[in-house]
Amino acid sequence: MSDEATPGMVKITIDGREMQVPAGDLLIAAAEKAGTYIPRFCWHSRMKPVGLCRMCLVEVEGPRGTMLTTSCTMQVNDGMVVHTESDVVKKAQEGVLEFLLINHPLDCPVCDKGGECPLQDQTVSFGPGESRFVEEKRHFEKPIPISDLVLLDRERCILCARCTRFSEEISGDPLIEFVERGSGTQVLTFPDEPFASYFSGNTVQICPVGALTATAYRFRARPWDLQAAESTCPHCSVGCRISVQSSQNQVLRFQGVDVDSTNQGWLCDKGRFGFEYLNSPDRLSTPKMAGDDGLQEASWIDALDAAASGLMSIIDEHGPGAVAGIGGARGTNEEAYAFGKFLRSVVGTGHLDAQIGDGLEPRLLAAPADRGLIGDLEKASSILVWGPDLKEELPVLYLRVRRAATELGAKLVVAHPRRTGLDDVATHTLRYRPGAGQDLLRRLAAGEGDAGAALAALKEGPTVVITGLAGLTEGPDLAEAVAAFGRDLPDATVLPVARRSNVFGALDMGVSPALLPGRASAVDDGARATLSGHWGADVPDGSGRDTAGIIEGLEAGAIRAVVLLGADPAVDFPDPARASAALAGAELIVAIDMFESVSTSMATVVFPALGFTETEGTVTNLEGRVQKVSRLLPGPGGARPSWEILEDVATRMGGSIGATSAGVIATEIEKVAPAYAGATWDALNTAFGRDGIVVPTADATQPIEYVPVDRPSAPVQRDLVLHLARVLYDGGTTVQRGLSLAKLAAEPAVYITPQDAHRLGVADGSAVRLSGGNGSAELTARFDDSLTPGAVYLPFNLGISVGSGLEVELEALA
Amino acid sequence: MAWRYLKQVEGFWVVFRQMFKPRVTTPYPKVKRVKPQRFHGRHVLNRYPNGMEKCIGCELCAGVCPARCIYVRGKDNPVDEPVSPGERYGFIYEINMLRCIFCAMCVEACPTEAITMTQLFEMSVQGREDAIYTRSELLMSPDGVVPHPQPQSKFNDLGELTLADGWMRATAAAGRAEYQGIRHWTPTAGAGHRPPEQGQAADGVPETEEESEG
Repeated sequence: MSDEATPGMVKITIDGREMQVPAGDLLIAAAEKAGTYIPRFCWHSRMKPVGLCRMCLVEVEGPRGTMLTTSCTMQVNDGMVVHTESDVVKKAQEGVLEFLLINHPLDCPVCDKGGECPLQDQTVSFGPGESRFVEEKRHFEKPIPISDLVLLDRERCILCARCTRFSEEISGDPLIEFVERGSGTQVLTFPDEPFASYFSGNTVQICPVGALTATAYRFRARPWDLQAAESTCPHCSVGCRISVQSSQNQVLRFQGVDVDSTNQGWLCDKGRFGFEYLNSPDRLSTPKMAGDDGLQEASWIDALDAAASGLMSIIDEHGPGAVAGIGGARGTNEEAYAFGKFLRSVVGTGHLDAQIGDGLEPRLLAAPADRGLIGDLEKASSILVWGPDLKEELPVLYLRVRRAATELGAKLVVAHPRRTGLDDVATHTLRYRPGAGQDLLRRLAAGEGDAGAALAALKEGPTVVITGLAGLTEGPDLAEAVAAFGRDLPDATVLPVARRSNVFGALDMGVSPALLPGRASAVDDGARATLSGHWGADVPDGSGRDTAGIIEGLEAGAIRAVVLLGADPAVDFPDPARASAALAGAELIVAIDMFESVSTSMATVVFPALGFTETEGTVTNLEGRVQKVSRLLPGPGGARPSWEILEDVATRMGGSIGATSAGVIATEIEKVAPAYAGATWDALNTAFGRDGIVVPTADATQPIEYVPVDRPSAPVQRDLVLHLARVLYDGGTTVQRGLSLAKLAAEPAVYITPQDAHRLGVADGSAVRLSGGNGSAELTARFDDSLTPGAVYLPFNLGISVGSGLEVELEALA
Repeated sequence: MAWRYLKQVEGFWVVFRQMFKPRVTTPYPKVKRVKPQRFHGRHVLNRYPNGMEKCIGCELCAGVCPARCIYVRGKDNPVDEPVSPGERYGFIYEINMLRCIFCAMCVEACPTEAITMTQLFEMSVQGREDAIYTRSELLMSPDGVVPHPQPQSKFNDLGELTLADGWMRATAAAGRAEYQGIRHWTPTAGAGHRPPEQGQAADGVPETEEESEG
């Protein structure tokens, strides 16, 4: 090491070893990077230090002599001399541990943390070996449920405040806090207020003892009999890295993995506890065929024959354009690619879509110009979030935006029809009536009135513009106009978001009428010719229908057969009743799914598919980051990977998609999809590891770069308009098939402003009838003063639908 | 020539000499040898004298088992009718006796002395499935009777099931500092209490709670 310090680095000496560490780092972090582990309980690299547990005491030489100090609260200084293994430090560590264990119950054999417990580990490594305290320990009732998902054992708590600090600093739901004083100090919730946070599971993971345990994992296994594999969370498009842990061929828990680029160690509770659907006894394990009374179990051969002959007879009679495909966003890129190739080359149709009528322009999602990364939030001066309530739809992205707005001091502008999770930390909050978003955008762009201050904040670059569909009754034009506005801001990047897990991957794999694999345009003859050269089959032109078009086609009789890959349009389409009626009129539905759903109940053939943790592959997140998902379990009964099912159907139709393994498909994607050049499994497994690869890489090409178009539309002014938006715990398959999350789905209610309620004679909690574009429903009315007068809010997919029309009527029921 | 016949007689002499020596074999199964005190026979899951199960389902036995023949799953104790003291009990407990190597590591690992080994070693079964002992074969009844899959078999000496393999703790059960290093005998031996082995008495160790209750 040279004598000259590098700029931004300082020289310190730890245990006689001289080293250079970044200036401003905390001593405990700097030491760890340099290879010296200092024991700790309260310090967590993603939270502010508090110096509560005293475990990280070290000796630092100073002008007044050597003294003990907590290394988690001390920044490194040039020339600092630190001792971490001296006799004084050892004595301090032993003393701290002996004190911490005075009241710790030592019920390690029955504790869920036993075996992976920092208190156990550090007591063995740094503890005194025996205790001088023989007195009775402190007792509390144990364990007490502080929410539906988390249990608290106050006897085990060592009062490190990791959980309370997480709730306050990171997630912004300060629902647990220290109460009482002295030896009576304990962590508790507020009276009659459960720890109902979307992020409560993180406190279980960061608890350094077994004080906080998860109901979903309680007593299911011990850490040493868990098998683990690193993977990517399948619940939304943020792409959090997780560790999937299983025992006896059952997934038992997901743990967040600390990755700088995406989740920074955190997970939302849907991601953490949403694995339970994989173990559901309702999983399909044999193919089923429509019989006289509903679906009957069938053999694979019969089911494959029926699917292939059914598709062929429809192609013969009505041409390939009578077949359409919906889905592909729930699985891996390999499955989506196989799906797209099956439909385009074997069937020969251009009607295919991974979005279920609730998305944006596919080219905007797949290849926007000036696309940002989640990591851009770390250095942003201002952020515009105009789209879904991130806390409900992309919770970990919410944590990242929240961190930027609080800890990193970015100015945050939030525009949404009602209160969102981010409003508390927003600098400027803009509200609008659904349908009047364009009007607000015009005012924001011109800096008129209250939008002036927001525009001034957004002009401070670098800016990140997060845009998406704020509500399902609004068209995708608004989000696109926001993206176009965002690009015009100085030094801005745009991050278009959509919720469904691998929708970005599926679009990149060409599961969209407008796109070919690798972000090529389907209307580009050259790209189609190249692709048909690879595939050896004609590629239909880009005039195919998207999901809304397919539903229309089914209604009109233009489309007669639908292939569903892990999609349930009869529930997920913004107007479920309409989609359901359209599917009921289809001649043939071939569904590949993990569960029976409303859509599969209308199917002719249903194939059981392997799901997450049962198939290997890649997924792409909302910033275009390709990450690996791992296979850990065999899956139920006769279920098979989707690509294998599609290949078998293709073979029976006289074609092939060349899929002999997921790895072979991955190799083909790398060759065929221009933007995915370089994103191989090998590269993901080794060189790039858990960070994944953002495509296109420097030496790959991306054929299109979509520039969002500002398509202004006239503001809609009607008496009562509907804001239809998703909530985190809804009626979706992955929530409802899991024991822990199913009970968290809220009761459906319609939210109305007190002004409108007064006008319509509705009281808070009274019964009302909501009538929309397609149907009406009796609901409970709830007051919500964050809505703009004239707007009502109905959560989507909680079992109530009145259609996706903007205009609604509401009447009080006696 | 004669020396050759002499050699043969010498052989007979060996046999003749043995006839008057004490026998070392026993006519098993009519007569059974007394086994060493630490003989490792089949397992038993013990109870406290008040009838509660000692097993808390912690899976330490399964974790330490070198043959990986133990499968345990824990579960929340029912609040009204707890099966074991504390929060957790072992609601699945299985040992594959075909894989077990009778090393007694499980006995050593058990924090509650729930699993001990008896002196019974005759465990012939009629099928491989029968060799997987579950809770119904392993757990003693509240009156101290240990179940046996073939109780009528003439090979069985059911009394052997009440003898444990004489295992002891290195330190006091309570983990209290004043008993550090003092050897302390497990109070239960299969179906009850057993005095310490000769020469290894745990002097000065007070009676444990279970003993005073029993």
